[in-house]
Amino acid sequence: MPESVLRLLPAAVAAALSRLPRDVLGGLEEIRIREGRPLEIVTAQGSRFVSASGGLLADPVGAYRPTRDDCARLLDRISNHSLYALEEELRRGYITVRGGHRIGLAGRAVLERGAVRHLRDVTCFNVRIAREVPGAAAPVLPYLIDPDSGAVRHALIVSPPGCGKTTLLRDLACQISRGPATARRRWPGRRVGIVDERSELAACAGGVPGFDVGPRTDVLDACPKAEGMMMMIRSMSPEVLVVDEIGRPEDAAGLREAMLSGVRVLASAHGEGYADVAGKPVLGELVREKRFDRYVVLGRRAGGRQRIAVLDETGRPVAETEAGGSGGPKRPGTGVPPDAFAGRPGRRPEAGLPC
Amino acid sequence: MLKLAGALLLVAAGALLGWMHAGRLAERPAQIRRLVRLLSQLETDIAYGLTPLPEAFGRIGRQATEPLASLFRTAAVRLERDGMAAPEAWRAALDSVWELTAMKNAEKEIMLSLGNTLGATDRDDQVRHLRLAVKQLESLEPEAAEEQRRYEKMWKSLGLLGGALVAVILY
Repeated sequence: MPESVLRLLPAAVAAALSRLPRDVLGGLEEIRIREGRPLEIVTAQGSRFVSASGGLLADPVGAYRPTRDDCARLLDRISNHSLYALEEELRRGYITVRGGHRIGLAGRAVLERGAVRHLRDVTCFNVRIAREVPGAAAPVLPYLIDPDSGAVRHALIVSPPGCGKTTLLRDLACQISRGPATARRRWPGRRVGIVDERSELAACAGGVPGFDVGPRTDVLDACPKAEGMMMMIRSMSPEVLVVDEIGRPEDAAGLREAMLSGVRVLASAHGEGYADVAGKPVLGELVREKRFDRYVVLGRRAGGRQRIAVLDETGRPVAETEAGGSGGPKRPGTGVPPDAFAGRPGRRPEAGLPC
Repeated sequence: MLKLAGALLLVAAGALLGWMHAGRLAERPAQIRRLVRLLSQLETDIAYGLTPLPEAFGRIGRQATEPLASLFRTAAVRLERDGMAAPEAWRAALDSVWELTAMKNAEKEIMLSLGNTLGATDRDDQVRHLRLAVKQLESLEPEAAEEQRRYEKMWKSLGLLGGALVAVILY
């Protein structure tokens, strides 16, 4: 578990978690802290409860139950002792802390004229641990770059929450920005612009990215996506624009405008598959107009493996691959050299230098 | 000769004691006024600057004069380095610094109760609590000024005369 997470946690929770086996700590994805209820962790293997002495339990009985004081301390630390400075974050229900970790919050909503003004009595926390996975984009990168012209294709990454959209997008930005290894250069590195509304992609601290997002990458931190995309295009003239979690209608409208400005767009959205995003009100319009050239659908992880499907603009599968396991494609797409899949997670892939 | 020198020393010591006590009396209203100003500055930092508490404390600590500067500096260090929660850090800073100020327990109580909400609520609530503390401190200031007016001179002469009295008795 990264040090940046450990120092945020209240002492009792940190003590319990630090006694977990090393391999569990290394693969930690989420820590769920709920006042008076069992402490839960989520790894690639699924959900487990944790006892005060660091034992892993399948059953909630005997698990450590965070106290009111634990929760108050956690909130105090993740807000940098300054809850008043986080009104916007509280309204949205999450705080991104140093290191790019996103902490989801739930409590009692305070309303003002029917709209959520902020949260009080925050008692549920979901600490999502951000991780750089160099090479995560290697299996899909060949499908997102036109083999003949070397142009980057408009792409939408689709998956349910917690399946690695952001991690994939971050590595894509990095690899596209860096370009492929010099020995087999088929396309140049591109100027990439990241509009990072939730500070998750680049994990900026004081404006400087905490993650490696590539040498030709500019980051507009904490800016609303719709406005940020146009700002980025006007000010930094990116060739590829990267945005995370297109959800609101104005985000999709901004996306359309960016696509019509001659910029290549890589975006992500929540959904189980092509049908889900096609059914969304505004984003669906873009999908039905075939604005996206490729869809990358990430499946849920099971037993450390994850299915990744690449679809073309009409939603027909181009290829299916698997990450976390042997990695080879089951059905290589047209015009994609099979050796492009040589990269395995943990090994440096050839398609692009890992960042 | 030696006796005379001793007697003079006693008178001087008495006068010094009186002066110091009078000085504290004179300092108290001035420090209350300064504290009020610093709290208003904190309010601005919180309400308009949305500055995080450790940073706001640090900045006020650099701008203020001693001993109030060390109150904010200590609080900032407790927050940042020791990882204390805001109320704990504020209390710890008050406990370690209050002895150095000329202010009394009434003022300390106001500051302690301010600490309970510092940083832990939304912007409007922070402003409300800070203004309340400012108002309470301001209500103590005339009392402190009155005390100064009444007892400052008295302590000065009392010290001198007390010293003289002891010197006479021992002579």
